Amino acid sequence: MPARLFSLAVLLIAVPIFAATLAGFEQISMQAEEAQKTDHLIEAIRLYQQGLHLKPAWSHGWWSLGSILYDLDRFPEAQRAFQHFVALSLKPGPGYAFLALCEYETRDYDHALQHFRMWGSKGWTGTSQLIDVGVFHFALLLTREGRFLPALYLLAGEVKKSHGGPALIEATGLASLRMQSVPEDYPSEQREAVWLAGKATIYAAVADFQRAEEYAHRLAVHYDETPNVHYFLGTLRKFESDDAGAAKEFERELQISPKHAAAMIELARLAKDENQQDKAVGLAKTAAELEPNNPEAHQIWGELLLQAGNLEESVRELESAKRLAPDSSTVRFQLAAAYRKLKRPQDAQREMAAFNLLKDKQQVMASPQEKLANHPELLR
Amino acid sequence: MKTRAGFVLAGLLIFAFEATPSYGHQTHNARRATSNFVQLSQAAARAREANQDDVAIELYEKALALKPDWQEGLWYLGSLLYEKEQYAGSRDVLRRFVGSTTETGPSWALLGMSEFQTREYARALDHLQRALALGMGDRKEMIQSVSYFVAVLLTRFERYDESLNFMFRLIASGQEKDLLVEPLGLAALRFPVLPSEIPANRRELVRMAGEAAFTSQTPQYKDANKIFQAMVSAYPDEPGVHFLYGVYLLDSNPEEGSRELKKELEISPSHVPARLRLSAFYLQNQKLDEALALANEALKLDSHYPSARMTLGEVLVAKGDVSAGIKELETARAAQPAVLRVHWDLLRAYTAAGRAEDAKREKEQIEAISHSASPSGSEPSRDKAQ
Repeated sequence: MPARLFSLAVLLIAVPIFAATLAGFEQISMQAEEAQKTDHLIEAIRLYQQGLHLKPAWSHGWWSLGSILYDLDRFPEAQRAFQHFVALSLKPGPGYAFLALCEYETRDYDHALQHFRMWGSKGWTGTSQLIDVGVFHFALLLTREGRFLPALYLLAGEVKKSHGGPALIEATGLASLRMQSVPEDYPSEQREAVWLAGKATIYAAVADFQRAEEYAHRLAVHYDETPNVHYFLGTLRKFESDDAGAAKEFERELQISPKHAAAMIELARLAKDENQQDKAVGLAKTAAELEPNNPEAHQIWGELLLQAGNLEESVRELESAKRLAPDSSTVRFQLAAAYRKLKRPQDAQREMAAFNLLKDKQQVMASPQEKLANHPELLR
Repeated sequence: MKTRAGFVLAGLLIFAFEATPSYGHQTHNARRATSNFVQLSQAAARAREANQDDVAIELYEKALALKPDWQEGLWYLGSLLYEKEQYAGSRDVLRRFVGSTTETGPSWALLGMSEFQTREYARALDHLQRALALGMGDRKEMIQSVSYFVAVLLTRFERYDESLNFMFRLIASGQEKDLLVEPLGLAALRFPVLPSEIPANRRELVRMAGEAAFTSQTPQYKDANKIFQAMVSAYPDEPGVHFLYGVYLLDSNPEEGSRELKKELEISPSHVPARLRLSAFYLQNQKLDEALALANEALKLDSHYPSARMTLGEVLVAKGDVSAGIKELETARAAQPAVLRVHWDLLRAYTAAGRAEDAKREKEQIEAISHSASPSGSEPSRDKAQ
């Protein structure tokens, strides 16, 4: 019993202290919001910090503190505030975007990418401005990760919205030249090439092919021997429906970079369209051997094998492609066709179901899990 | 260009630093922390004065851990880190400092220069321009460094005309040539790279363009012709070369200048300023159809180009389509309210259209802009990074 009495005594003393603290907290939080509203940001930071000292689980406080620090470019501190916010908030969506943006600024790129993806899993919520900034930085990180096509897909969307400013040109140039870098860390001697490739891509994205070619020509003149330049020129020609010109550029790339799997894949596609089956198969096979984790290499090889009636081998390659890119609708469609020919109707039906779910979901920001939500069996 | 922060340190005590805090009403722990802080801050100052930079940095960091908003400590730590070329560190410390102090030019300057080194160019330009707008007192070396960085960054952001105008003002105020040759050459050639990013096989071209552009702004401007000729002869196929020479020649030999501009358009078919200069040349020579075609093409290529609507408006007015011309000129005025030439164009156009009240307003605007123009003024602070 004495112990219980002691607890009661503590409780009786603690209640007024707690009440006083709570009253203090209410007052501080109101003052903090007022300081923020009236643009007294340094005072607001101090008050939010005081409030958070009294009530560390105050998620709105962490959000406001993080937002102010972010606006003041104080990214390491903002990062810590948003870490608290996402841990505490029931609706952390935009908090992940801000956290990722802070991590980008502190050059913690791996965590930034991870948190952009978590933002994605919460539905990419936030203001249109946050979405634009977030998408742009996500694209930069995809480029750094070597996922150039998804990065370009995202950046092209930004070009149409913003006419392409210098930052977008640089980002687009890096992805176009397949440079696994962010704008802050690529070699300075590559600056001109990045700018020229970025300009060409941006004009191509708005179908101004004359100007795209003007910059592409300058790139070719000065960087004829530089790896990836002719691959880029090939993709540009292909985009302009100049298949012969594209093939020439991909061939030139292979002279400069004999192990360029992406150039091989593009050449295989062009050869397939020209009914040069043997050439196409040879290129696709070599590309898949060079880059066993490249889904496109397995996909084109599988497609060629399917065309040739080599069904078992085709399924093997297409299943590899599916394993590497479970959200590719093209792979699913071809796999369905291969299963049908192999008289495996159930498998074919499953792949067609996946195809039907995926065909209108080309956006690259969603994960395969999101695209196939409620159908986990289709991921297998 | 590497800059050092040493020159900054001499003028540091411009800030009203906080007095030593009172010991009254403090808990034991708080008193101990304060005592530690005072000891650390004094030791940091002693180490800094004895040029023991590493020791000073460590002590400032420890003192700031106890008192994170200590302005004097933030400034000295930021400056020392910059001097030690630890630019990310100085950037982070200075960001805390600029937010918590009365705005001063030197602190924005040092922050902008740190950001330049960490390749955060948009922020660097924004903050360096803020430093220029706020002023840096008589710190000539700092002003020179900031001006250099602003000029090269404007070019990297493809704001060539702003960069050139900025550098021409520096030349007029007596800036030495050596520092400006490459930045001038890059802006004049419309080549958006930093001097450190110039490809080796074009450095000579950039230097020639810069030498010629510099000389063209001096009393020896006629000497620029030789350098321009040598540049055109050595680099006849490089974009920007014929445009640059053409613009130079338009004053002394307009026919030859227009030929150079046409050559530029063969090499760079989408060159907007070459079209506009050529349009203005045709306008002067009353070849109004040619002038109109070029002005329209320029506008189609880049509807945001600053002088495109002005040129089109001038041509339309000259062709007698005064109301359409006024419409273009009014759009140009809205985009660039401080450009005198647009106001003069509108004054003439309103007068021709019998719009006396509007003409009077333009005249007042011209007088107001002329009065407010500073002969050696720095770039206006509205000029934000893109």
